Amino acid sequence: MGLEFNATILAQIVDFVILLIFLRLVVYKPLVKVLSARSEHIANNISAAEKERQEAEQLKAGYEAEMRLAREQAQEIIQKAAKTGEDQAAEIVEKAKGEATRLKDSALAEIEREKQRAVAELREQLASLSVLVAGKIINRRMDDEIQHSMIENFIKEAGELQ
Amino acid sequence: MLSLHEAEQQLNFWGWPANGSWELIVGNTVLQFNPKTLIMTWITMVLVALFAVCATRSMSLNRPKGAQNIFEAIFEFIRGLVNDNMDPKKGYSLISIVVTYFIFILFANLIGLVPTLTSPTADYNTTLGLALCTFIIIYVYGIRYKGLSYFKHYIQPFVFFLPIVIIEDFAKPITLTFRLYGNIYGGEVLIAVLLGLLGGWTHVLGGFVASVIWLAFSIFVGFIQAFIFTMLSIAYVGQAVADHH
Repeated sequence: MGLEFNATILAQIVDFVILLIFLRLVVYKPLVKVLSARSEHIANNISAAEKERQEAEQLKAGYEAEMRLAREQAQEIIQKAAKTGEDQAAEIVEKAKGEATRLKDSALAEIEREKQRAVAELREQLASLSVLVAGKIINRRMDDEIQHSMIENFIKEAGELQ
Repeated sequence: MLSLHEAEQQLNFWGWPANGSWELIVGNTVLQFNPKTLIMTWITMVLVALFAVCATRSMSLNRPKGAQNIFEAIFEFIRGLVNDNMDPKKGYSLISIVVTYFIFILFANLIGLVPTLTSPTADYNTTLGLALCTFIIIYVYGIRYKGLSYFKHYIQPFVFFLPIVIIEDFAKPITLTFRLYGNIYGGEVLIAVLLGLLGGWTHVLGGFVASVIWLAFSIFVGFIQAFIFTMLSIAYVGQAVADHH
């Protein structure tokens, strides 16, 4: 059996070319478009992800700086508060001391005043008692003038006694 | 046990004109065509077109699925081969041709495994037609990217190489033709032989196992041969457009 080539070769070439043209027009064009669109899409995604990563890093750095600042501020506030508290405590103690002194002073003054008054009262009572006693001892009538001069003398003497 | 001829006759379910031919008279020459090959080619073309169109309708950019995935994988695989073998700029227009080679030859090889159908590639007219396309494409690309200096390689470095290079040039389409034809035709013959050899009660008792194994192997061979034809076409064209020295 020998090889018998015939016009089928031509028909097959024509068939192949028809199929090629059909596929090129109908199939490969949209396929290539989708493939290139996809690779572009992926490239975009990658670059976008890279950009987002950088942004995130920046944000992170910013937040970290802010946090550090906030921590420092908090430290400062705490220190200030502690200092204020100490100051206030000292002030309160100071005030209390002052108050105590004042109270003590006023109490002393009061005591003094009371003492004075008591002395004065005592003097008066002493005078009238003396008069009464003297009147009883002398047992005679005495005019008012003599009585008064006697009282004056007595008081003077009593005052010198003090 | 049936002879190969008898088995083929029994498999002729569609009533192919066994040895006849279609004739077309143009002027004084009579063009003869193999009707079975042509009909099978047309069926293959329709299947390829259907598959390709189905795969590329409503394509999804983000979530490709089903046929689109397969088609994209084939396309990208062969595009990768082309880009590996030549400057992607030069190879750009070649991609659609070799992808068509691959899909067409693959479908042609596989359709022969369907009972009662035969592969278009089991006819050397088909394979020679395809190989001649490659033969022409080699020259077209060589001249397109090198001009007439493409023919310099026939006499370089010595004129003495001229006959050897010419033989090499013609060996390319001939080897392409008969490698593909031999593999596919051999596979089909063995399918028919196994069916005829192990007919009747043998089949019931397990004679089909040999056929099944051979069919599975034929699927593998179909893929491999389609790939080899495509790959060699790419390599030949890559050789023709490569910048030597």
